[in-house]
Amino acid sequence: MQTESDRDEIVFENVSKRFQLAEGRTLREFVPALFRGKAWAEPFYALRDVSFSVGRGETVGIIGRNGGGKSTILKLIAGVSAPSQGQVHVAGRVSPLIELGAGFHPDLTGRENVDLNASILGMTGREIQEQFQPIVDFAELWDFIDTPVKRYSSGMYMRLGFSVAVHSRPEILLVDEVLAVGDAPFQEKCLAKMHELQSAGVTIVVVSHVGQLVRQFCQRAMLIQNGRLVIEGHPDTVIQSYEDIYHPKELVV
Amino acid sequence: MSQAQLTSKHPLRRTWGVIDLAGYLITFWGRRDLLWHMTVRHMRGQYKQSVLGYAWAFVNPLSQMIILSFVFSTILRVPTDDIPFPLFLFVGLVPWFFFSNALTAATDSVTGAASLVTKVYFPREVLPTAAVITKLIDLAIGLVILAGLMAYYGDAPDATSWWFPILFAIHLLFVLGLSYPLAALNLYFHDVRFLVGVALTLWFYLTPIIYPIDIVPQKYLWVFDLNPNSLFINAYRRVILYNEAPGWDKVIAGLIIAVVTFLVGYYLFKKMEPGFADRI
Repeated sequence: MQTESDRDEIVFENVSKRFQLAEGRTLREFVPALFRGKAWAEPFYALRDVSFSVGRGETVGIIGRNGGGKSTILKLIAGVSAPSQGQVHVAGRVSPLIELGAGFHPDLTGRENVDLNASILGMTGREIQEQFQPIVDFAELWDFIDTPVKRYSSGMYMRLGFSVAVHSRPEILLVDEVLAVGDAPFQEKCLAKMHELQSAGVTIVVVSHVGQLVRQFCQRAMLIQNGRLVIEGHPDTVIQSYEDIYHPKELVV
Repeated sequence: MSQAQLTSKHPLRRTWGVIDLAGYLITFWGRRDLLWHMTVRHMRGQYKQSVLGYAWAFVNPLSQMIILSFVFSTILRVPTDDIPFPLFLFVGLVPWFFFSNALTAATDSVTGAASLVTKVYFPREVLPTAAVITKLIDLAIGLVILAGLMAYYGDAPDATSWWFPILFAIHLLFVLGLSYPLAALNLYFHDVRFLVGVALTLWFYLTPIIYPIDIVPQKYLWVFDLNPNSLFINAYRRVILYNEAPGWDKVIAGLIIAVVTFLVGYYLFKKMEPGFADRI
């Protein structure tokens, strides 16, 4: 059992997350289930008894296959979802880089969406004003900032989303596989920015089903399989066992 | 965000006491920038894709007023003493439209923001609150039409009209209090939005909007005493059309109903909030 120390920014203590699959969503399904007096549906465990901690300024990678529980961990850290059992402690402002530009409204201009998205991420009006120019500069959208974002290409959309997230002065940055998309020069720029945040002491959690990003970027890695934390350690070791599990012998031969 | 707001607690791990509830309300107030941006987003989105744009906000109340006036004063001849029926009707209809539109929009507000709710944490009550505030535009437009109507009938605003904003503020608190649990329940049961539609239709006829409360038979008056909207709409008429103060008993009753509804509704919302992302 881990205890929370001053230096740990994210602590999971025996966390389980249970979902009801195929749950009754209308009264027509719910009321009969109530009379039958049994659970609506079989529970499904997205996470089972997971414990770990991430220290301040650390960069940790979580790898595993899709549906293994990685996204659930990010949702628990982001404070979007609550654990079914166990405790989650998060100290610090979280900026999720999950699905960039999720909060964009297509009819609003880039500028208006920056205001909206930045305030969703917890920035005050003054912080937004200060960061506005850096956000636009980083996204390289000088000529399009007053255009409704529905006219943006998907690349422009993501650039703006990424730029807002990294400029929201996060203390904890959550990175999903979003970096796999976008053109190569911008990807490099994103990586450079993440290195910059890393050296500035931002805690970063990277989630991926490919080892590459985790290997070149993280100090520590965790392998999540079927909702359980299987191995934790140096990225090379963890990625090795991940590949042993999912890409057995024939790749080696 | 200030250091004090950084907590080692998961935002969805809650304790429940009077002080905690106050804390959630303070956090909510701290995010008023977000509330503003979210409201602007709703306002922009509302009539954006339509040819007439904001003109639609005029068309709906005007057409309703004309048809209801025709049916209930020309055909059915509802007695409204010396007040012209369209004026009588509209003083009740404008706040009712606000009530009805706000509740409908708020019910869908959290379900409609699925992509945000599953990605980022922010106090979720921002969503229904922004939906309700957005409808203040419709209210303002309704009041403009009402002013035009009063000018047309040569009815100068009464001295007691200053009560209107006070009464409306209380009414607004009541609307918010109903919005929160409805928005939350709509995630659990998608039936809720349909139930709200049915309930609003029934509620419209059980509120003295198209008829004066005076013609309600004595033995049914208790229904109207239990209906907060009846209280508010009668009070609006008194202060705008009859030059009478609403009466302190009514104001205090309205205030108690509104505050209790708000607190209970807000409590229920926060209680259900941890499950939101899992339910969308």
